[in-house]
Amino acid sequence: MADTSLSAPEAKLTPGLRASLPVLVLLIAGFLAPLVTVAAYAFATPKSFDVFRSFTLANFAAIVDPSNTVWTSFVWALALAFCCVAILLVICYPIASVLFVFPLFVSENVRLYGWVLFFIKNGVLDGALKWFGFSGGPELLYTPGITLFGMVYVYLPFMLFPMTLGIAMIPRDLVDAASDLGAGRLMIWREVELPLAMPGILIGALLTFVLAAGAVAEAKILGGQSVITITQDIEVAFTYAQNWPMGSALALILVLIVSGLALTAMARIDLDKILGKR
Amino acid sequence: MSSVAVSPVSASPAVSKTPRPVLQLVDVRKVFDGFAAVDGINLDIEEGEFVTIVGPSGSGKTTLLRMLAGLESPSDGYITLRGELINDVPSNRRPTCLVFQSLALFPHMTVGDNIEFPLRVRKMAPEERRRRALELMAKVRLPEDYYAKNVMLCSGGEKQRVALARAFAYDPDVLFFDEPLSALDYKLKKLLEKELKDLHRESGKTFVYITHSLEEAMVMSDRIGVMRAGKVVQIGTPEQIYSTPADRFVAEFFGEVNTVPIRRSADGWLRRDGRPVAVTSGLSIDGDEATVVIRPEYMRFVTDDAVADNTIVGTIFNEYSLGSRLQYQVRSRTGRTFLVEVPRAAAWKGTGEVTIGWDARNAIVVGG
Amino acid sequence: MQTVGRTRTHFLIRAWTAFVVLAIYLPIACGALAGLSKGRYFAFPIRVFSGEWWGKTWDSFEIHVLVQNSVLIALIVTVLSVLFAFFGALAFARYPWKGRRAFQRLLLLPIFFPQPVLGLALLLWFNALGISPSWKTAVVAHLVWIVPVVTLVIAIQVFSFDPVLEEAASDLGASRLFTLRTVTLPILWPGIWSGALFAFLLSWGNFPLSLYTAGADSTIPKWLYSKMVAGYTPMVPALGTMSTLTAAALLLAGGLVRLLLKKRADLRAREG
Repeated sequence: MADTSLSAPEAKLTPGLRASLPVLVLLIAGFLAPLVTVAAYAFATPKSFDVFRSFTLANFAAIVDPSNTVWTSFVWALALAFCCVAILLVICYPIASVLFVFPLFVSENVRLYGWVLFFIKNGVLDGALKWFGFSGGPELLYTPGITLFGMVYVYLPFMLFPMTLGIAMIPRDLVDAASDLGAGRLMIWREVELPLAMPGILIGALLTFVLAAGAVAEAKILGGQSVITITQDIEVAFTYAQNWPMGSALALILVLIVSGLALTAMARIDLDKILGKR
Repeated sequence: MSSVAVSPVSASPAVSKTPRPVLQLVDVRKVFDGFAAVDGINLDIEEGEFVTIVGPSGSGKTTLLRMLAGLESPSDGYITLRGELINDVPSNRRPTCLVFQSLALFPHMTVGDNIEFPLRVRKMAPEERRRRALELMAKVRLPEDYYAKNVMLCSGGEKQRVALARAFAYDPDVLFFDEPLSALDYKLKKLLEKELKDLHRESGKTFVYITHSLEEAMVMSDRIGVMRAGKVVQIGTPEQIYSTPADRFVAEFFGEVNTVPIRRSADGWLRRDGRPVAVTSGLSIDGDEATVVIRPEYMRFVTDDAVADNTIVGTIFNEYSLGSRLQYQVRSRTGRTFLVEVPRAAAWKGTGEVTIGWDARNAIVVGG
Repeated sequence: MQTVGRTRTHFLIRAWTAFVVLAIYLPIACGALAGLSKGRYFAFPIRVFSGEWWGKTWDSFEIHVLVQNSVLIALIVTVLSVLFAFFGALAFARYPWKGRRAFQRLLLLPIFFPQPVLGLALLLWFNALGISPSWKTAVVAHLVWIVPVVTLVIAIQVFSFDPVLEEAASDLGASRLFTLRTVTLPILWPGIWSGALFAFLLSWGNFPLSLYTAGADSTIPKWLYSKMVAGYTPMVPALGTMSTLTAAALLLAGGLVRLLLKKRADLRAREG
């Protein structure tokens, strides 16, 4: 665990440790503990609630069982997340100098529902095209493609924000110096701008991948369940099916994939530098 | 670029003398939002010269340098390099190179990669690049094993040398320096000033250096230009600038000076109290008001044995040691403060009022 | 020519930016449009505009309860998360201590975590503890991801704070509390203010955490979702637009206050 070095008994609390305590307690009780519970449930007897009293791999066995199609949800979630990141990189890089934080504060279902109103039959697109004399808009809703579109749309600010931070970190002098030493624009971009903006770009890619891999609202609202993502399977297991051990096993696998990625990438990133410590 | 090759010679009023200047500026202006940071500069820089532009911060010297390097383009006027108009030639197509105040070393590259950057632009073969980089490192006295060192782990002085080597790797006709030594401690600064001067002599290249420190300028330069509010107020050899400053601003820029306001009368120049003042310079000044400027080291104590052309009576109220010399602050009867700097041997031993004075040949008269 | 190429690139970047910004706000505009149409079912172009659904939404008792829940949760989350995050940011950026690196990474994990999964994990955890989910558990859930965000926001300000100032104050005889009140807090105030604004708005607009952890209590985004999935009424876009406008107004007002604070600080600095 990340905090082993902290829990070691120390003669006196350093100011840093003391200041971190409220947040540490919150994260241990509200983040690590739930994850430990999920992990514990993942090894409990299927469709039971006897956590810590039973140990079985039956849930994982059920997941890898070829007759079970739950793996398609994993594939969908990860594939969509991957495509989402790739598309966002292309969309955001040219505009990573403007910042709009506002969409972050409007709940994603409201924003996604706006697109439903846009794409739906007799909606804004369809209606406008008919009004201009065309035969009407294409049937885009309730497809995997529109799910991806929704994800790109919802997570755009999460890519843009770190990317802009990363690009803003490049000292103007370095670009000037490269140009002064004879480098053309392509070379400046490849040799100076891109490597220096890389931490920001990496954080953006990681953040959007993680969020997109766990996305569910896009597939439900825009995609009309044409795609079942893994989070939806977890939700069903936790709620309607009341199969907590199964849901936990699925969640555990997703969490391992996601946090494995996050931790590897974070180990290579210096937060002090990015957030501007002198 | 075909647009670049237009010869400005016909357009520029000040056609060159011989030897032809490598850099020529004619009425160069740069306006930012209605504010003229550089306000009409005419300047010729000769081949192989070390020219330093000094001025207080905000005088427009950095803007001037950025225009010369091609990082800004002038709003008005001409900049020519060996007779070719380069106003709008981008920095990557100019045979000039700027050493930035921040040094602008690429933090994600090694020392070697930094130095080789301009060579990679030129698509030089890797082995040759490396050979050339090591050569340059030797030239700026960087140890060979620094080649693979992370540039951000170098000390201030070492970074300085990397930046120099990188600029030389570009092999420019003219090198520009934007106060690169300002962040270093005094001793290192002195050392690097000397090395820079040596490098200038060995390479035979033209150096244009800007700084706000006249001391730095005096040590290194062939010529010094003094800038103020976007204009060059005086240009000349260090000796000329020091001994015959064009105005009070230039005189005061050199450090502490004594000033005595004077006015013109039918009988010649008079002090405020109506006494005549002996002067040998400034006879061509237009207005009726002028200022006599005397450096502290030209002021001395006046006794019966040692008379002076001009005298002032006052009282000593402070004494400082400057090492081998002593400096006194003297308040005159009219309440003005004067600085007198004498060798230790000439220390003032008396009490009460003191007479200080200067000789006319040691004073400079400037207008205003 | 190089300059022509550069102008063209600039133009393309501008056009692309404009397009993306338009796309960002288009669905919000669609929602506003739908809320203002008179018909029970949305059809474009709108035949008759009316404020009828806005009025109905405004008067609905059910919606009053939702708004109360949302405001209550957001207010509590704001106060608590600023308190947590202020000290968290000091630990994150101000003090050099042994566990700082680990703390920084732990703090980022909830941000780099899919929210629906976090909500479900919390639901499981609350159930395991025997706590039945309600708006109070939703507050806890919000805190788990909003506190790290606010910590980062305040930490950016803390990074630009020179600890020497605190030492100077203490050297001049100030007590810790006096230093905190007269030196540290005033300098960090803009960051704290931004953090509080972020906290309120993020809680106000949060959907995935509220969905799984609020139990029988509903918030605005949660209610909207239930109606989106089953039983469209123009009250959905109307309430959605109202909620968006509220957030926009708060953001604007917050920005204004920050500007005023900065002006006052500048003025004081000039007078001082």
